[in-house]
Amino acid sequence: METLVHARDLHVRFVTRDRTVHAVNGVDFDVAAGEVLCILGESGSGKSVTLRALMGLNPPRRTVVTGTLRVAGHDLLTASERQLEQIRGRMVSMIFQEPMTALDPVFSIGRQITETVKRHEGISQAEADRRALDLLELVQIPSAKQRLSAYPHELSGGLRQRAMIAIALSCRPKLLLADEPTTALDATVQIQILLLLRRLQQELGMGVVFVTHDLGVAGEVSDRIAVMYAGRFVEAGPVAQVMRSPLHPYAKGLLGATVHAGLRGTRLTTIRGTPPDLEHLPAGCAFAPRCDLAGTACLEAVPDLRGPAADHQARCIRVAGAPETVGMAIADTGARNAEPGTVRPSS
Amino acid sequence: MSDLLQQMPDQGGPAQPLLSVRGLVKHFTRRATLPWRPGTTVRAVDGVSFDLMKGETLGIVGESGCGKSTTSRLIMALMTPTGGEVVFDGQHVGPTGLPLKEYRRQVQMVFQDSYASLNPRLTVEESIAFAPRVHGLVRDTSITRARELLEAVGLAPAQFARRYPHELSGGQRQRINIARALALRPRLVILDEPVSALDKSVEAQVLNLLVDLKSAFDLSYLFISHDLNVVQFISDRLLVMYLGQVVEIGPVDTIYAAAAHPYTAALLDSRPSMDPGQRRMEPPLTGDPPNPVNPPPGCRFHPRCAQAEPVCSVRVPALAGLANSHAAACLMAEPGSGHSRAAGLAA
Repeated sequence: METLVHARDLHVRFVTRDRTVHAVNGVDFDVAAGEVLCILGESGSGKSVTLRALMGLNPPRRTVVTGTLRVAGHDLLTASERQLEQIRGRMVSMIFQEPMTALDPVFSIGRQITETVKRHEGISQAEADRRALDLLELVQIPSAKQRLSAYPHELSGGLRQRAMIAIALSCRPKLLLADEPTTALDATVQIQILLLLRRLQQELGMGVVFVTHDLGVAGEVSDRIAVMYAGRFVEAGPVAQVMRSPLHPYAKGLLGATVHAGLRGTRLTTIRGTPPDLEHLPAGCAFAPRCDLAGTACLEAVPDLRGPAADHQARCIRVAGAPETVGMAIADTGARNAEPGTVRPSS
Repeated sequence: MSDLLQQMPDQGGPAQPLLSVRGLVKHFTRRATLPWRPGTTVRAVDGVSFDLMKGETLGIVGESGCGKSTTSRLIMALMTPTGGEVVFDGQHVGPTGLPLKEYRRQVQMVFQDSYASLNPRLTVEESIAFAPRVHGLVRDTSITRARELLEAVGLAPAQFARRYPHELSGGQRQRINIARALALRPRLVILDEPVSALDKSVEAQVLNLLVDLKSAFDLSYLFISHDLNVVQFISDRLLVMYLGQVVEIGPVDTIYAAAAHPYTAALLDSRPSMDPGQRRMEPPLTGDPPNPVNPPPGCRFHPRCAQAEPVCSVRVPALAGLANSHAAACLMAEPGSGHSRAAGLAA
């Protein structure tokens, strides 16, 4: 039985007359039903493009997607627009970063939910209304009945994001995609939305792909983390291993650069330089120009994934399953509360 | 005007606060949308008072809409306050005391949106040299100064001086904004969410830079942010705002170790845990920040407070001093307030 998401050697290029941008350059991953994969990366790393590829949302005329990409058994790369419409909503749906721009300002929240369910499931207006009310209660919107007739501008940021989650869940998707859903929210609201997503994911047994730039957010919601840099997964592994003992120098740098408690008076570790230009990717490791450990071998070819465990690997020639890392990885496996991950890099 | 190259001298000695804000109030009145409807008043800042000592970094935190940005704009005299006054190094700011032009030589500001705050039609060096020229410095000297400042913020003048803002990355643009703020040798820099729009690795670079510049240029900072980890890293003292009012102020270490106000405690608990083994289970606060148009009576936080008692909806808490220049506006911290947990309740 195949996993919910099956991606192999996925490439996404944006081609215009003047230039070609290599946004995603060979990404392999699986997501099992009921699993949360977090794609962690900075702006321009290709994380959102990967996510949109999972729903066929990248602009069709300029995008060249190659490789294998199947969601719940449907091949997304050969699917017609009509077939994609069948997949979107019922199989896959997405929540976006900015609810105010993702929601339609001229329709009430209830109307936007009922429109979706009627379109996809062909049910009556009365039944769709009932479903909309259930959904608003599911996402814990207080006084849900009145809020059905509210317009997006009448809701606060947190309620808008809850409404968008309700729309995304309206057709009971098997896979939920989340593109930085809490970045625009206050800290007190962010944690509410993260906990809500975690609870809904467990109750409904959905697979989730969650894109974020915030390591703390990734730690709260994910089972597995994939760290993305210049369109490749440079490290993938169970959340506890990646956060406690990252392998790749970029992942280590990102962890060190994340400001957390107890750093006052110290110097923050930084990653020097800037990410590479995605029009002209280097032949070797894309991180090598910023890496303190880089040698000539790094510049020759893109490193293969390697690591201490089959489920925790990094694209770095310096990683060779160092003994102390192996020990930690084994010790951590028992402590993990998540299911065994299935984001296994294929080699 | 060679004295422009120097910082203005200290007036009142180290014991006198550099900046004193006294009872600052800003109400925005919205005219009625329909003739028979009453207009509304947004109490964005409602009686804020604090001192900023020489050489210190005061962090201001709070959710969106709590008035922290309005406070910074009032201090910068970018808008006229409804009430209250700003005293800079013993001198009242305004036509009767310190003239605005003199004041703004000593107080400069860095904004969150690094692109919107730069003139797109000026090169980087022209932007930095602009204020010194307004203050009467000749062109050549001001350009030389601009190049020195570029060097100081870590951008090679030969490479960057003649570029336009759109040719720079977000982190580089924010460095330009910082250089521009330093061009008049100010004594106080107001930083309004300076790193919120930056990627994590760049955020760390800019924070390190701010720490370096503070001692190199003998600065004091007013640092506004919604990120409690960043504020903890950079600040000496912390001011927490809720619905236009100060709810807690004190040394960073004291507040992070034991917050006196339940709102501060909830804010601190809302941070992602950074440890996947110890995830947050319950959101510390429910709901969104309420609307400052109609603040609740009594303590403005009581509708969201877990420890609220009937007295909280009636009595307005004063900012009560605790030990070690730590103060909180909570009835639990106010002896004899009628709250069952209040200290020193007459037995």
